[in-house]
Amino acid sequence: MTPRQHSPAATKSAALRSFEAQWLAREPDPLTALREEAMQRFLRLGLPTPRDESWRYTNLRHLAAQSFVDAARTPAGYLEPTDSLGLSSIAERAATVLMVNGYPVLPASMDLSVNGIEISSLRELSRSDSRLLARYLQPLSDADEARRGLLNTALFADGIFLKVKTQVTAPLVILHVATAEGPDTVAYPRLIIEASPGSNATIIEHHVQSGDETPLCNSATHIALKREAQIEHYRVFATGPASKHIDSLDIRQERGSRCSQFTIALGGGLVRASLRAQLSEPGACLDSYSLLVGHEERHVDCVNIATHGAPDTRSRQTARSIASGTSRVIFNSKVVVEAGAVRAESQQSCRGLLLSPAAEIDSRPQLEIRADEVKCAHGATTGRLDPDMLFYRLSRGLDRDTAQSLLIYAFLADVLTGMSVPSARAAIENALIAQLPDSQVLQKFR
Amino acid sequence: MLKISELSARVAGKEILKGINLEVRAGEVHAIMGPNGSGKSTLAQVLAGREDYEVTGGSVTFEGRDLLALSAEERARAGLFLAFQYPVEIPGVNNVYLLKAALNAKRKAAGEPEVDAYEFLALVKQKMKLMQMSEAFLTRGVNEGFSGGEKKRNEVLQMLVLEPKLAILDETDSGLDIDALKVVSMGVNSLRDPARAVVLVTHYQRLLDYIVPDKVHVLSGGRILKSGDRSLALELERRGYDWVKESRVA
Repeated sequence: MTPRQHSPAATKSAALRSFEAQWLAREPDPLTALREEAMQRFLRLGLPTPRDESWRYTNLRHLAAQSFVDAARTPAGYLEPTDSLGLSSIAERAATVLMVNGYPVLPASMDLSVNGIEISSLRELSRSDSRLLARYLQPLSDADEARRGLLNTALFADGIFLKVKTQVTAPLVILHVATAEGPDTVAYPRLIIEASPGSNATIIEHHVQSGDETPLCNSATHIALKREAQIEHYRVFATGPASKHIDSLDIRQERGSRCSQFTIALGGGLVRASLRAQLSEPGACLDSYSLLVGHEERHVDCVNIATHGAPDTRSRQTARSIASGTSRVIFNSKVVVEAGAVRAESQQSCRGLLLSPAAEIDSRPQLEIRADEVKCAHGATTGRLDPDMLFYRLSRGLDRDTAQSLLIYAFLADVLTGMSVPSARAAIENALIAQLPDSQVLQKFR
Repeated sequence: MLKISELSARVAGKEILKGINLEVRAGEVHAIMGPNGSGKSTLAQVLAGREDYEVTGGSVTFEGRDLLALSAEERARAGLFLAFQYPVEIPGVNNVYLLKAALNAKRKAAGEPEVDAYEFLALVKQKMKLMQMSEAFLTRGVNEGFSGGEKKRNEVLQMLVLEPKLAILDETDSGLDIDALKVVSMGVNSLRDPARAVVLVTHYQRLLDYIVPDKVHVLSGGRILKSGDRSLALELERRGYDWVKESRVA
């Protein structure tokens, strides 16, 4: 076993010390050496601060003073998630796997397979095939947007591994339920998706909460797309206004693979969602859509980094942010075209809609190009509801609330129309519309 | 039906309308002509209730009610309709449902029940036929991807379905080819009725070949400089707007 060494406690925040205590209490497993390295890196780098480039707009200072303990595996009385933002209609049509505070609720059988997707627990897999797992936990990165991913790698206790083997038509929903009996708990949900060559599937991660309190959620998902594989992935944040969620998504794409990714922030008090995509072989294609809704005092910070590492790769990022109340929505997107990635194409479209004078939206599309013969376009606009559009609707006799809701809905249409699973789209639209004024009237316009 | 007295209005701090006087009676068609920047579109938008256009003086009554006291949506429900010069695209929002919502808003204000879905569809299809629009428009987003001519037809379609008492058409003829102009004119003429009135805002005499007005007004510099019958439009076509400005000075 690797010796565990620690830096002097005096320099560490309470949060950092508590994460370290969690680490020290972990049972060794075949991944310990790798986890140790992740933990040491995290302790060395510390909690991200606004001095770190990708954390400029999100200050975790208030978390630093807290001491965290592991969220319970099976909290007493747990059964029903409060599915207030209702994606239930997806669950009716699709297979659903439940994860509570990061612990999968799976039947005892180890070779569980649903519609061509093999499902295993990471805890089991770390014992039976730790090399496979280690492959998807690496490489470890010191990049500030990956910082929280390091912590997850060190501390996740269990999770789910999905192996998509064929062309799967029905979506698979991972219903993440966050629940806590007291304050200062933390959960580390981890999901790994491996899409076999030529396979095709839709995976929906839906984050909800049960009860009034939730742990700090430090989740991580890794998606590996083999040659010609196609994955449509959703992460829908729909927890309550007091919850805090930091999610790291890593996507690695091989030759000719296609990934459509939807990041939908409908709930949560603080949501920080990062996406790092590596288009590492020719023909890989990423379509990323972000629909970020800021309400009341919510803080939503989304960081996307797409790296083109091979010729003929394509990425498209479409972000629509809405902020009302005193909320703040941040969309930082970066496209990196590495040397040799000739004929790479990228598009970044970031639009923001401010619905109140105290709300704030920051959109920052960035480009780093180190290759010739590339086509990269980007644009960012933020404004209020277009008075011409509003007047047009009012002049037809529509109520002001209805007219405004319609325009908000229309603003989001670019993201919604990208969704290829009708049931998912309908459920997300319903959840979205439910938050808008005059939602019942609006339902009929679709 | 509509009585405008000494109406003045400001847009972005600039005085655009400087004392407009105009009376439109039920059954009449009025044409308001004038050069670019004369205030024609501002007048149309002020009448429809655009909030960021500030009325600085004068009064407007519509069927005896103080029009300026009503919001844009209340004016629409009371029977005023503006066909926009630049209809706005609203992607993702179904064109026909929006029309139905507009009709129902108006019916609700009049204390009538909501329109029956089948009757409504039949009505829309009938009017679409008149406007020579394909049924594909039923399922598309509001003006989404419509050509200039299609947007204008869509405006007239909305007008025909909503059956306003007073229709104001803001340069509905601009950007139309001759065939589309005929179709649009036919649509407007089908609405002519002793109980309704139409105000056409236009640059060109051409439209008035198809929709024959009862009265023609020349608007320039925020005032109506001259009013007359149809022959005024023909004379304008021949002599240009400068003639009106000069004759007034003289």
